[in-house]
Amino acid sequence: MKTILLGLLTLMFIVGSMSNVNSHEHPLRHLDCSECHTCDRPTAKEPCLIACPRIAAAHSTSKHSLKEAPDSMVLNTLENLYGPVAFNHKQHAEMSEMGFDCATCHHYSPAGEIPSCNECHPAEGISVNLSQPNLKGAYHRQCLGCHREWNHETKCIVCHEPERFTGAEDVVQDPTDILGISHPVITVPTKKVYDTPYDKGPKVTFYHNEHVDLFDLKCVDCHQEENCGYCHHLGKTTPVVKTMEEVHSICNDCHLEDKCSKCHGYEEKPPFTHDVSGWHLSKYHTDLECRNCHPTGKRISTMNGDCTNCHAGWNQSNFRHSVVGLQLDETHLEFECEDCHADLHYHQTPTCDNCHDDDHNYKKEPPGERL
Amino acid sequence: MDKSRRKFLSTAAAATATATMMATTGHTSDRLGHNPDEMFSVLVDSTACIGCRKCEYACNKTHELADHPPAYFEDQTQLQLGRRPQHDAFTVVNAYEDKGAKEGEAYVKVQCMHCNDPACVSACLVGALTKESHGPVMYDTWKCMGCRYCLVACPFQIPAYEYHDVLTPRVRKCTFCTERLHEGKKPACVEICPNEALVFGTRKEMLDIAYGRISANPQRYQDHVYGEYEIGGTSWLYLARADFQTAGLPLLDNQSPAEITENIQHGLFKSFLPPLALYGLLGLIMHTSGQREKSEESTDA
Ligand code: SF4
Ligand code: SF4
Ligand code: SF4
Repeated sequence: MKTILLGLLTLMFIVGSMSNVNSHEHPLRHLDCSECHTCDRPTAKEPCLIACPRIAAAHSTSKHSLKEAPDSMVLNTLENLYGPVAFNHKQHAEMSEMGFDCATCHHYSPAGEIPSCNECHPAEGISVNLSQPNLKGAYHRQCLGCHREWNHETKCIVCHEPERFTGAEDVVQDPTDILGISHPVITVPTKKVYDTPYDKGPKVTFYHNEHVDLFDLKCVDCHQEENCGYCHHLGKTTPVVKTMEEVHSICNDCHLEDKCSKCHGYEEKPPFTHDVSGWHLSKYHTDLECRNCHPTGKRISTMNGDCTNCHAGWNQSNFRHSVVGLQLDETHLEFECEDCHADLHYHQTPTCDNCHDDDHNYKKEPPGERL
Repeated sequence: MDKSRRKFLSTAAAATATATMMATTGHTSDRLGHNPDEMFSVLVDSTACIGCRKCEYACNKTHELADHPPAYFEDQTQLQLGRRPQHDAFTVVNAYEDKGAKEGEAYVKVQCMHCNDPACVSACLVGALTKESHGPVMYDTWKCMGCRYCLVACPFQIPAYEYHDVLTPRVRKCTFCTERLHEGKKPACVEICPNEALVFGTRKEMLDIAYGRISANPQRYQDHVYGEYEIGGTSWLYLARADFQTAGLPLLDNQSPAEITENIQHGLFKSFLPPLALYGLLGLIMHTSGQREKSEESTDA
């Protein structure tokens, strides 16, 4: 009996709800019929609708009930919501120099020509691997990874042209957004003097120009992971302070074997001159890059002052002595190099002892004409 | 439509066909007679979600839900409100604390989980909710009698009711974009997701991908795919770095509540049998002994 009752009740409910649904099939009945129909008695068969555009009907859309909407419908214009992205590659490349280099974006690129993104990231399909999404995911993950970091935004029109007629233009472009504004030139310092808590040498003088120009370092060698987010982290009020360990680890890449006093002192240190090595660079050597003579590794290799470090093949017959500012006279031209330059140590004062007596003065009576 | 797209569509169509075939030829494994492996499924990788709310936008447009201007969907402060799906928003994205993320927070998209053995379906007295063999849990306005048992039964508090509509209120929830699926398309939210935080395919594929990601990046993920076993399994699966409960996904038993309640009901009905039999037996004895007395009386007379 209970079952029958329940069944009856249910049936009543169902019928009730069905009639309810039927009742709202035409919810616009409170509208003036003439807004949409030309005839007095429109029927389903002959609705006599006003031909498009139904200008009067346009304002009535707000009176539509949400319930009229189908549960599901196809809307495949989503792809066209936004226009293409005008991508300023150069600007990004310059900024990337401070990050991970070009590899910030062009990861896993083999040597030679850089493959385009879609060689690895197909436009469609199921992306199985998190690190190998499809093209759309790949672009967005790549860009948003940094963009979100510096502006905490995911607004599409930061990068995309809003397509016309989609309503996307409702979204106002944030005027404080840096996109489209070229980055102010980052001034490269010549010298920086740091005050440190180290009591045996509180001042550290750092010649930035020397490291870049002379020692041939790339930005990324020291400025690791310093990309846009490093400065543009929203809400960041104070600059990032590196720990002592972090600071030293950057310098230690090259200076690990140096004493503290190499950088630390009570006073500012003078810029680098080659004289500190005991070898004054003159004439032919001043224009050389450090690497030309000190080729090994990141760290500048030390060498003795002998010409044979580089000029191993020189001898009495092929060396034009006049280049050092002394044209040898005929007698001396005949001698072997080591007759005057003991043990081929050219940076030491030559000896005359081999032929002349002890009190012969090289300076007063040179072996030729000074130029 | 380009070539690869067409290829995807044909694959999807083939998958639907396979799913239907599997369901009808008896290659089934679950209580409802469906094969969860072959059902459509979405993997939500909350570690890849950027909280852009584009999925909310696409869902809103596809199903013509609440009338919001596009700018509403760009408003990131909405992420912080701990919203729930509504009658006019089938899906919402919420922020939750994730210490491992650069931002200190991660985002989770919430919608109907399309459970394998749904509590809402079981609770519905008139069969207005059904679990389709290809995955979606569908709602039929015409059958619904408005009892709202499904709202109470759903462990994820998903179904929403049009309380504002006195005459023809409906229960509303994510439809899995079932009409798009029939056309061989991905759900609208999956299609628009710019960061591919949502991946669409069969449930087996999604589980394989999920475990592939976990083993490739063990520090990025909890070693668990939420929805694989919870309440008997769900069609929508989740990956997260932080605790799933932090992400707002409830801690649930592996057994479907539908199964539990139905077992109890069936048990109850089953246990009516012995007393009935006993009464029947007693009745029979009384009846026969009565007959005997009667006949004895008649012989005596
Ligand atoms: S999540 Fe809730 S509404 Fe969706 S299928 Fe599961 S029980 Fe039903
Ligand atoms: S599957 Fe469809 S209905 Fe469900 S949340 Fe995504 S877009 Fe909305
Ligand atoms: S569209 Fe994708 S990335 Fe954006 S909020 Fe939704 S799930 Fe997250």
